[in-house]
Amino acid sequence: MSEGSGGSAAGTDMRTGAGAAPAGRPRRARLDALSAIRHGDLIGSILLTIAVMAVIVVAFGGNPWTVARTIVNNSLAEEIFLGQTIMTAAILVLTGLAAAIPFTARLWNIGGEGQMFAGAVVSVTLGIMLPEGTPHGLFVLILIIGAAAAGSVWGCVPGLLKAYFGINEIVTSLMLNFLAFFAANYVVTVAWPEIYAQLQSQEIHDNARFPDFWASAKVDVSVFIALAAALAAWLLITRTSLGFSIRSIGANPRAARLAGVRTRLVTVSSFAAAGAAGGLAGAVTVGGVHHDLALDLWISNYGYVGIAVALLARLNPMAVLPAAFIFSTLRVGSNSLQAAAGISASFGEVLIATFVITLMVTGAIKFRYAQN
Amino acid sequence: MTEVVIVTLFASGLALMVPVLLAALGEAISEQAGVLNVGIEGTMLFGAAICALVGVNVDSVALAVLAGVATGAASGVVLSALYVRRGTDQIVTGLLFNIFALGLTGILVSQVIIGNTAPTLSPWTVPLLGRIPKLRDVINEQNFLFWVSILLAIVIFYLLRRTWWGLYVRAAGERPHASSSAGLDVWRLRYGAVIAGNALAGLGGAALVVGTSGRFIPGFTSGRGFIALGVVVVARWNPLAVVAIAGLFGLSQALQFVAGLVSFFEPVPDQFWLALPYLVTVAAVAVSRGSRYPAAVGIPWREPASEAR
Repeated sequence: MSEGSGGSAAGTDMRTGAGAAPAGRPRRARLDALSAIRHGDLIGSILLTIAVMAVIVVAFGGNPWTVARTIVNNSLAEEIFLGQTIMTAAILVLTGLAAAIPFTARLWNIGGEGQMFAGAVVSVTLGIMLPEGTPHGLFVLILIIGAAAAGSVWGCVPGLLKAYFGINEIVTSLMLNFLAFFAANYVVTVAWPEIYAQLQSQEIHDNARFPDFWASAKVDVSVFIALAAALAAWLLITRTSLGFSIRSIGANPRAARLAGVRTRLVTVSSFAAAGAAGGLAGAVTVGGVHHDLALDLWISNYGYVGIAVALLARLNPMAVLPAAFIFSTLRVGSNSLQAAAGISASFGEVLIATFVITLMVTGAIKFRYAQN
Repeated sequence: MTEVVIVTLFASGLALMVPVLLAALGEAISEQAGVLNVGIEGTMLFGAAICALVGVNVDSVALAVLAGVATGAASGVVLSALYVRRGTDQIVTGLLFNIFALGLTGILVSQVIIGNTAPTLSPWTVPLLGRIPKLRDVINEQNFLFWVSILLAIVIFYLLRRTWWGLYVRAAGERPHASSSAGLDVWRLRYGAVIAGNALAGLGGAALVVGTSGRFIPGFTSGRGFIALGVVVVARWNPLAVVAIAGLFGLSQALQFVAGLVSFFEPVPDQFWLALPYLVTVAAVAVSRGSRYPAAVGIPWREPASEAR
């Protein structure tokens, strides 16, 4: 990803520099109606998103204005909703980082979902199996470290396969999502099933639960985990030699390799770092939000929405924070749509996906390709 | 006993193969043209949802399946406008399209389809082959779309590997610049391939609905589109090999139905059998390390004239 189109991008860039077409050579007539707002970037994509959304809302018999008001009111206006939005944002920050770090090296980690589940499985296992009397701080710390390690190991699998066998990481990281889900399924239905509720594990011990930080809104220290992770990722990418290697591979893999970047090591490390972030997201869902592992987590699609977060942040780890908050607002606000406007809560996903797609269509998010 | 197990395994394995096979054929076409369509999962979801929707309301299997194909083609038009015309990043666009599809089909389920079921296809007794003992027990269990999918695999093999059009498509996926210089219309080839590929994925989604219970639920495809992405890599973009690899996937998925019949497998938890197809896909992709994507896959094509050289 880059700002502006460098001359080195031989095959490709988005057509941003419309005026840069060589004089005298006729440009192909544009068939699409979207070209008018090509330069509008962000404003254009927001308007386009609103237009597309309004069409969808009307098609399902809703009122766009009611929908917009419901989303804002039910995500920010009340303490309990705001707390929910903040906690969801914490999860999305972590899954967003799980995408942003490898994407910077143009490695497609689509496995944020699986890394989150790996973290959640280990958190819930530790939270139930360790003795109840473990000191609170220590217990929470063990949970966090365990989840990060599990996510990291899970994330390393596609990284290693990519680095040493040249195997496409998209397919492997995607498949590992499903494997982690079935591992969670085992934990929930066989290992520690909750007797009173289906598809839910037992609750973790009290001492394993993350301490509250703003109790009336049910916000706990997860927020600081997310902030610390974003800061750490930012330092990693911008201030370390590993980060420099990651960025140089992203800019031009061939040049990086010729300049002596140890591509394999960087590939595996960026997947490991991403996996740790994803694992932490799992720890937050278990230790912070729910105190158990419910298979519902799968339909929340936090891992996939994290990819949208990373893109909205243009892969900048610090920008992941506001991006996650924006999407969390849309997500949490949409939960109330069924009651208020007669539209299913899935609308949140549609909103997020449409927004990022239009950002790409209008050129606000760009990718550059060097020719291999 | 063993015979029952084997017949069940193959009968349900071949039935489970069909949606993945159709999606993988579609993916093979668009990848050969240089477009990596990660959005195939979303297209399958749309195809399945609209097929269920039409099936619920019209009560005709044929119309429901056609609606699935049309939805797939329509998704292809949208995706090709993004991938090809706008040149957005294919992987990212595809993933977002999947999220979009998950959300929109989720709304469809809760607002329109609700719990209704669409009509389903019943097994089709094959005229000649259906009389062969043993084999008969397996293939007479298959519905009409099974045979359509096999036929399509042969047709697509012929089109991609034995016709000029196929050569042009593959050229557009390997060396778009050279193809364009040689006078080929890379735009049109890629549009065609993406739309055709998505129509097949839509058919795959429809096959999933009419080949099972006819009930569509959110996330119905459960990663079959993603598995198709792996299948084409392992099959090296050869439509006939896709049949074999998709069949392997179907068998691995069918094991969950026969595992209960074999006492040897008793201690293995159910979740292992459910996870097996995905594990098989990872293993198969890992083993086929020599497999190489078409050179221009994933890179948006831009006309040389508009490039500042």
